[in-house]
Amino acid sequence: MNRTLTKITLIMLLTLLSACVAAPKKDLALDRVRGELDDLKSNPELAGYAPLAVGEAERALRKAEMASGDDLYRSYLVYMADRRIQIARTMAEREQNEQTLDKLEREHSEMLIQASQLEADQARRDAEQARLLVATTTEDAQRAEQEKEQALLNEAESARAAILSAEEADQARRLAESRASEAEYARLEADLASQQVSTLTRQLENLQLRETESGVVVTLGDVLFASGQAQLVEGGRSSLEEVVDLLQTEPNKKIRVEGHTDSRGEAAANLLLSEQRAKAVLEALVSLGVAADRISSLGMGEDFPIDTNESEDGRARNRRVDVILLDN
Amino acid sequence: MKPILIVLVCLTLAACSTVRPDPEIFVVAEQAIQAAVAAGGDEFAPVEMRFAREKLEVAKKGMEKEKYQVSMYLVEESEINAELAIEKSRTAKTRRRVNELRKSNEELDASLRATFGGEFK
Repeated sequence: MNRTLTKITLIMLLTLLSACVAAPKKDLALDRVRGELDDLKSNPELAGYAPLAVGEAERALRKAEMASGDDLYRSYLVYMADRRIQIARTMAEREQNEQTLDKLEREHSEMLIQASQLEADQARRDAEQARLLVATTTEDAQRAEQEKEQALLNEAESARAAILSAEEADQARRLAESRASEAEYARLEADLASQQVSTLTRQLENLQLRETESGVVVTLGDVLFASGQAQLVEGGRSSLEEVVDLLQTEPNKKIRVEGHTDSRGEAAANLLLSEQRAKAVLEALVSLGVAADRISSLGMGEDFPIDTNESEDGRARNRRVDVILLDN
Repeated sequence: MKPILIVLVCLTLAACSTVRPDPEIFVVAEQAIQAAVAAGGDEFAPVEMRFAREKLEVAKKGMEKEKYQVSMYLVEESEINAELAIEKSRTAKTRRRVNELRKSNEELDASLRATFGGEFK
């Protein structure tokens, strides 16, 4: 009885001990490993990565959980399951890092692409700037050219003004002279008038004549010169003979030869051309017998049209040389 | 393949624990450690490398004392530590490249920002 009781007590104690010590110990180790796997699967950063390794860890863990047998074997299985989970975790981390690497590489190339685009933009802007600089320089050159032309124009203008004032002075002197000898003048005038009438009547048929405030103007049309040239065309000289005849009817009157152009082309060039043409006509007139000291020439450029510059006919009329018999 | 074969062999052997294991399993375990060394295990996973080496040493001693079953488990545990060391080394290298590239991108970003100012996004 006593021995039986002792036996039963011992068995109960052993059972209790094994329940208290052995079994819970095993569960704790397994629970910890199960917790590790659950943690890996629910980790928001790692979930879904390395599915094969996670599956392998899952199998190893289940095997440990279902194992029956000695403690050594079961703790071996738990250990293996734990390592499998570690392997799965580190592989998941790697896959996640590889994705990050891809993203960083993409960002890297995107930055380089953007940089090259910006560089291209910069180069384009630089080129534009250079082009602008060239344009500005060209503009400066053009402005300088214009200023030069203007200076030339001003020079010609002042030369003309000088001539005009000299003529005015001349006229004043002549007026004084003529007043001093009024009687003689009146008689001379009567003579000249009668001469003039007959001469002009004769010449009017062939020459374009106009009465202006300055005096009688003989207009030589644009047949004397080739386009853009300042030399008389062949035969131009002989056509001037009639003009000379007319001029010689008024030997005491000063003569002004004025060149005019139409408005095509540069004003400065036109002024120069008109000057040269006027001079050519003057020289021709002198060579035909007009006294050199009573004749002067002047380029008027395009500024004194007698007709419109909008039509070819008008322009043809504007291209002319006026020979003016100046009234005293 | 090899670890799986070994596992199968060991499981078979585990049933009959008194059978002396094939000495080939130590060669395989040693090769696993060498592979882990080659992968950079000593640098990137020194703890796992130490476990792998120690467990293999204990397994060899267990053979001398004819504790075949324990030795076979320890060889397994040594191998899986070598495997973990390899994986950890690879992951560490990848992480290092991520950090390098991140730094390089930050530098590039800063330099481009300095060059192009607000135009760069």
